[in-house]
Amino acid sequence: MLLERCSITCIGKTLMMIVAIFLLPQRAWAAIGCTLTDPAEDLKYLYPEMTSYKEELKEFTRMTGGTVLFASLKDRLGSDLDPIYETYETPYTVYSVFKGTQKMGIVHGVNVPGKGGVIQVFLSMDPTTAEIRKFFFQRLESPAATQLRLKAFREQFEKMTLADFYKHDYYAAVDPHAPADKLGKIKPPALDATTRPDYDASLRGIRKNLILLDFFIYGKRFEPFFEKSKQALQRKNKTKG
Amino acid sequence: MGKINKSSMRVVQYMRLAFKNLRRRMVRTALTVSGVALAVAVAVSLGGFMLGYRGAIDKSIEMLGFQVMIMAKGCPYEAATMMLKGGTGLLYLPSETFDKVKNDPDIASITPVFVGIAEKEGSGVRDEGSEKTFSIISGIDASSFTVMKPWLKFKQGPGYDGGHWFSTTANKEVVLGFEAAEYEQRKVGDTFYVSITPHGTTHPVQHALTVVGVLERTGTQDDGTVFMPIDAARTYFNRQNQVTILGIKLKEFSAFKMHEFEARWLKLPEVQVVGLQQVKNTLVGLVATAQTMIAAVAVIAVIVALIGVINTILMSVYERTGEIGIMKAIGASRSDIFELIWLETLMICVFGALLGSAAAVLGTGLVEHAIKSLADLGVSGSIVKITPAVIGYAVIGAMILGFLGGLYPAWRAASMRPVEAIREGAA
Repeated sequence: MLLERCSITCIGKTLMMIVAIFLLPQRAWAAIGCTLTDPAEDLKYLYPEMTSYKEELKEFTRMTGGTVLFASLKDRLGSDLDPIYETYETPYTVYSVFKGTQKMGIVHGVNVPGKGGVIQVFLSMDPTTAEIRKFFFQRLESPAATQLRLKAFREQFEKMTLADFYKHDYYAAVDPHAPADKLGKIKPPALDATTRPDYDASLRGIRKNLILLDFFIYGKRFEPFFEKSKQALQRKNKTKG
Repeated sequence: MGKINKSSMRVVQYMRLAFKNLRRRMVRTALTVSGVALAVAVAVSLGGFMLGYRGAIDKSIEMLGFQVMIMAKGCPYEAATMMLKGGTGLLYLPSETFDKVKNDPDIASITPVFVGIAEKEGSGVRDEGSEKTFSIISGIDASSFTVMKPWLKFKQGPGYDGGHWFSTTANKEVVLGFEAAEYEQRKVGDTFYVSITPHGTTHPVQHALTVVGVLERTGTQDDGTVFMPIDAARTYFNRQNQVTILGIKLKEFSAFKMHEFEARWLKLPEVQVVGLQQVKNTLVGLVATAQTMIAAVAVIAVIVALIGVINTILMSVYERTGEIGIMKAIGASRSDIFELIWLETLMICVFGALLGSAAAVLGTGLVEHAIKSLADLGVSGSIVKITPAVIGYAVIGAMILGFLGGLYPAWRAASMRPVEAIREGAA
């Protein structure tokens, strides 16, 4: 009875449903690129004492020597860039967080292709020391999502800098078990062959994020560490050869 | 012939004189022209919006591919609401309905579509996690579906080459709409995770599917859809013998045929038949109120502008009382004065109309952006279309208003007695 009455009165509503399913653009697909979903709310959550923030768009295409800088990203990352989604044209949004006039922090996110979908890796950074204050995922579609989102896992990256990633490369070449290798000491969550790629993609995301911030914000201050690791790797390869 | 030449020369002379008069009070003329231009710009934009929006609806409906849809009876509004909020409350038809309907003699082509709502990880920075979002999964029979939508093409180029539709027996393959692929940053050959809660259970099951194709952008809902074989979708959603809609193209699409078809199939207790003309009317109805309000604003703007024009010309007439008196005293007839003042009004209106039309054309993007940011109109593509016809109507409308608006000031000026006018002007 209820169904009958409903079906009589709902022709208009039926049409609305058709409109909703088949014609209306889906909001879920609206945001492409790695920006915070709700910057004001998200930054306030990360920095409760924040009073204002500033968004800055960084693009290699608009930088002097952008092509050279972009090419150097691949070297420093140690892996190929996705030809479609990690291109020269990809824009990056850097958020600067203020308390009054004092810059409290920097927040930046990058997209990295995960095994089954994009992974959005965000870092909240110390504006002066370039140390990671907080590492978090904005989007992570993965069977390993629960483990990777664990606070205990993510907290291990706090206080690390890009130098630690370059040092890891250095130690990998000269002394793989060096106690000073902070990145080497990171305890990954229990992973199997299906979930491991997303862990690796997450690490790649952190590294890419730090390299880009070093280019955009920190004036390439960690370059000496990269050079040192590169030389160590060359020496190792030469010895092998 | 000579008469015509003389007459046209007189009009040209009057126009020169009228233009000269208007230039004497440059600021006032400019302000009056601006008022007319603003009113015309609003009217032209509105006309362009009405035209463009209807065109966009037609295109969106055409791009849907179907003329008629058969779907489950019931109250789908709640279902739509649930679906938009990420629920799974869609209504389904038994598959036998497809078998019953497919042999209808009026059907040119028919395709069954199974729509399911899959869960996707939400987007958020909080430690406690974020709200789940959703993704529309369309289970289709690729061969009949593509007959309905022949414009669907696979994206080509590095990362996309080799894209193809899945085979009917495939159960782990998906084709992604352009935006779905971009949002998930997927390419052909990549894995695509999707979490589906099978009907009758409470926990979602994550599936790793392979992307076998990425579609080119169509500007429709298909861009955000994940397509998979209908049987696989039914299995994942645990609705093996169900279908969401039957999309139909009739051999002859007319109101009469549609009515016949509807009457034939409404006899089935479980179905309702929906013609896309009804959908179109619903969409038009969605913005009808807003359009009426904007039209009312445009009418008010036009009236205000017209009052402004009459006021300007009247002021000009009163200021030139003495001058008009002298013109009459040296031989100008009532009709000469009438035509001159009338022409001044007309010129203001025509200049305003041209300026307003130009502003409307230049501001199309802005108007479109403003409308789209204010309301989701359910269509994609351009919704403001300013055609030469729209501009033509606006200019003709402004000229008619100019003719009407100029009547009183022109009559007032033409009725002045020369001696009194000269005396008043001197005073």
